[in-house]
Amino acid sequence: MADRRDVAAHPVYLAGGVADSDEQSERKFIERLARRDERAFNELVELYEARVFRLLLRMLGRRDEAEDMAQEVFVQIFKAVGTFRGDSKLSTWIYRVSVNLCKNRMKYLARRHSEGEDELEPVAERAALNEAKGVTFGDVAQPDRMVEGYQIERVVQQCIAELDPDFREVLILRDLEDLSYEELSEITGLADGTVKSRLHRARSMLKANVERKMGEKIR
Amino acid sequence: MTDPGQDEANEAPSSATPEPDESLRSMLRGALREEEPPPNVLAGVQKRIRERSKGKFYADGWSTAKHPPLNTYLVTSLLMLAILVISYALLSPLVGSPVPVRNQPVPVQLIPR
Repeated sequence: MADRRDVAAHPVYLAGGVADSDEQSERKFIERLARRDERAFNELVELYEARVFRLLLRMLGRRDEAEDMAQEVFVQIFKAVGTFRGDSKLSTWIYRVSVNLCKNRMKYLARRHSEGEDELEPVAERAALNEAKGVTFGDVAQPDRMVEGYQIERVVQQCIAELDPDFREVLILRDLEDLSYEELSEITGLADGTVKSRLHRARSMLKANVERKMGEKIR
Repeated sequence: MTDPGQDEANEAPSSATPEPDESLRSMLRGALREEEPPPNVLAGVQKRIRERSKGKFYADGWSTAKHPPLNTYLVTSLLMLAILVISYALLSPLVGSPVPVRNQPVPVQLIPR
């Protein structure tokens, strides 16, 4: 996993000696964090801030909210790292804290009706669904195709935002963050089978919703 | 929105691994890709921790700095040392020989009545 590779390459984990295994290095690093070693915590933030921010942005859909939430996640980690028992990997625990705080935030935002949603263009003006695959601003030479690709992306973004946070969570963690089912179980606290069925339902709902909005099947 | 808890209560957990839909995954990745680089949140995190701990953590410039300004401290120290050496070199020739002090006891003169 990319996470393990990043962590092993980080100077914090090499500080304990080249002969140390990743697990020993991580344990030593966690001990430093539990002692409230500020330099160790700085390293932790630098190591995980991009991944935490990306996850939160995908969950919340708003950059300002994601940045604010990312800061809050690391503050909570600083407070609670002493309670981390090492039952799971540190990265999995960080994901769990991020997801839980994010879901609380989403409920709070939903209550306050502050989720900003832009109006979409009329369905008739949208492009075919298969054009959404891999369409980026850089790839598109013609402006009209760029607009079409943008509209499709907005439809998908809206459909993701309409998913229940519990479905959105497993979909993003599995299909975008590429986490294993075991990690998903640890993060969500659900049984393996429940994670799989929830993921299946999340994909089905998203696909159906996108097809309904676009008026055609995903190929 | 569909309530996952309600639906899953009636649904037996699946042991089979759900097949990933590549079209859907590709579409998801396209829609949720991040064009801009992620922000640096370290300074904000340190500020929040400092405020909430009432200065117990991240109270000094060394711990809050991502890369402490070692050169600044080193140059300042060397500059101060150089000033001291120059001052000593300039002022030491001006120091003359010590003035002799008479410290013999003077006899006490009694005033006659």
